[in-house]
Amino acid sequence: MKHRLRAAATLSAAALALAACSTTAPSSSSGEGGGDDVATGNGVTDSEMTIGMLTDLSGPFAAGAAVQVTETQAYWDQVNADGGICDRDVTVDVQDHGYDPQRAVTLYRSMAPDVVALQQVLGGPTSSAVLPLAEQDSLYVGGVGWAGSALAFENNQLPGASNAIQAANAVDYMLDDLDVPEGSTIGVVYFTGDYGGDALAGAEHAAQERGVEILAQEITPATTDLSAQASALAQADVAGVVLAAAPTQFASLAGVLASQGADVPIIGMNPTFNPSLLTTPAADALLANAYSMTSISPYANPDSAGVQAANELYASADPDGALGWEVPLAYVQAELLKQALEGACEAGDLTPEGVVAAFRDSSSTDTEGLLPDGLDYSEVGQSPTTTVFVSKVSADAEAGLELLDQVSGPSAESFSYGG
Amino acid sequence: MSYLLEQVLNGLSYGLVLSLIAAGFAIVFTSTGVLNFAHGSIVLLGAYLVAVLHDSIGFWPAVLVGLAGAALVGVAINAVLVRNLADKKPDTAAILMLGVDIVLLTELTRRIGNQVLTLGAPWGASVVRFGDVSLPTGRVLAAGVTVVAFGALWYLFSRTDLGVGMRAAAADGPTASLMGIRLSRTAATGWALAGVLAAVAGIFLTSFPAPGVAPTVALSAFAAIPAWVLGGFDSVPGAVIGGLLIGLTSALVTGYESDLEPFLGSGFGEVAPYVVMIVVLLVRPSGLLGSKEAVRV
Repeated sequence: MKHRLRAAATLSAAALALAACSTTAPSSSSGEGGGDDVATGNGVTDSEMTIGMLTDLSGPFAAGAAVQVTETQAYWDQVNADGGICDRDVTVDVQDHGYDPQRAVTLYRSMAPDVVALQQVLGGPTSSAVLPLAEQDSLYVGGVGWAGSALAFENNQLPGASNAIQAANAVDYMLDDLDVPEGSTIGVVYFTGDYGGDALAGAEHAAQERGVEILAQEITPATTDLSAQASALAQADVAGVVLAAAPTQFASLAGVLASQGADVPIIGMNPTFNPSLLTTPAADALLANAYSMTSISPYANPDSAGVQAANELYASADPDGALGWEVPLAYVQAELLKQALEGACEAGDLTPEGVVAAFRDSSSTDTEGLLPDGLDYSEVGQSPTTTVFVSKVSADAEAGLELLDQVSGPSAESFSYGG
Repeated sequence: MSYLLEQVLNGLSYGLVLSLIAAGFAIVFTSTGVLNFAHGSIVLLGAYLVAVLHDSIGFWPAVLVGLAGAALVGVAINAVLVRNLADKKPDTAAILMLGVDIVLLTELTRRIGNQVLTLGAPWGASVVRFGDVSLPTGRVLAAGVTVVAFGALWYLFSRTDLGVGMRAAAADGPTASLMGIRLSRTAATGWALAGVLAAVAGIFLTSFPAPGVAPTVALSAFAAIPAWVLGGFDSVPGAVIGGLLIGLTSALVTGYESDLEPFLGSGFGEVAPYVVMIVVLLVRPSGLLGSKEAVRV
């Protein structure tokens, strides 16, 4: 009897817990906010609004993520000091998913009813898990990286050109500016998964357009010694290499290619460069041949008011912090969300749906040089721009990258997702 | 031809480094029956110590500290955690080791941050040329050091009382104990040896052609698991052969990927070691040189 009682009690407790979990659709509770005529929903009160950040403070990307959290907090503190948005202070709810998709989903479920937008979901597998859920909830999600697969989500705002566009531009740049001749072979070394796969698609498209061959080499993040890959590339006599991987692979590939006498340009995609590579034995090889093709401006960009503002803000928030591309990245993600929130406020609809509608409404978003000007978010499924930043690895530039140009090559412009 | 030779030498030299790690797995397993899934973090720890210390105390003293540090952490894991396990089953210990791995790796990741720490190795990015074939100096050194290390291990296991005692303890712990062999001592020696081998491997895995110490090094160490398994869980010579086989397979499959792609698809180089492992285990279920008892665990 006792047993049965206990079992019944446990069952009813479990049922209650389950009922508590199954909240109503997080964005359905829109109502009228206090004094103004703005419709509000989740995460917005009369005096305050909450935005979320699902990041990795304990996993493999913890260090870069910490820089982004610092910069983001400083950004919104400044916005609040200037009067906030829609007469409301903005609070940032930062949660740590530790690069674990399951934890990211759990955290998302608990956060979604209390935020008006998610400024960032860091990481490929984690954002792939969260994006479809957020799309059902019509919740804005920014900062999920640049994989083409994320473009299909209406609620996702990509900070600049996708990986395929970067890689297509890399091939164009080699042919147009780095003396790589038509008919030659270009190597593509890429991480298995969304990021690398998207970059390979862009490079293959460009190769077809421009009459070059592609020699593809798939690797994983655990591949830290690229001797075998470099030998294969040198054997095929490649005229250049596109790399969609991480800093460790950038340095290894450049170093081994140089040691084999292959004096060819190597162009890394968004996250492949880190200033600490210039202290490794591969520094000379990187200085000689390495370029970076990025969606977002490098740290050193004296002509961009946006980048200067981002760097100054970070310097005052954390004077000893690590310099790098995370600083402009965090700033511009916050800036994009700020513009979306302001747009939603102007349209009188500060609900999660309103925020998504506001950024999708814009076919020409500018960010003071942090991202290329004229970002077009009106078409779901396509990259918002075909323009990217080209930098050269340089010992003289701050954070190791010297900005050379902004380019939009013919193959990048003719690339189309699903087409 | 020189291309084939270059890939073969690449593969063999990398395979020797893997066999250092695989031998560490095998030694810990034979001396304490533990599947040491924290081994990858110990590889990283050894390299990390060298990277942070080489500036202040010089490269070679830093190497000594790295080797000693990795050995000490191994001995400490055994003394504090493994010996005090209430339930001494291999599966319990394996789960415990996964926990240790998470703790060690999280702390090292936090300390390393998003930097790539250079090791300060005096051989830098230099290469040795044999005719048309070039091989990184670090890899040539790694091959030499590994051969010496395995020579020393052979001497230890076949010519010294301690080594013979370790073999006796591995073959039949209770009987060895009755014969006067102190199992605690053979176990501690096993963990220390594995730690030293891990640190040596860590140093070569993070110097040129790899750029430096980053948290992913702990993942690279897992590439040695197929070498360990196909060699037979409990055999050091098996681990050596396994390492060479895996190194050679990865290098050749990667090197000839463009020729293999039409029928194997891209990225087969990453999978090839596991395919080799499965094929070997199908033919010889106890691995190349493993004892039959070990495989039943």
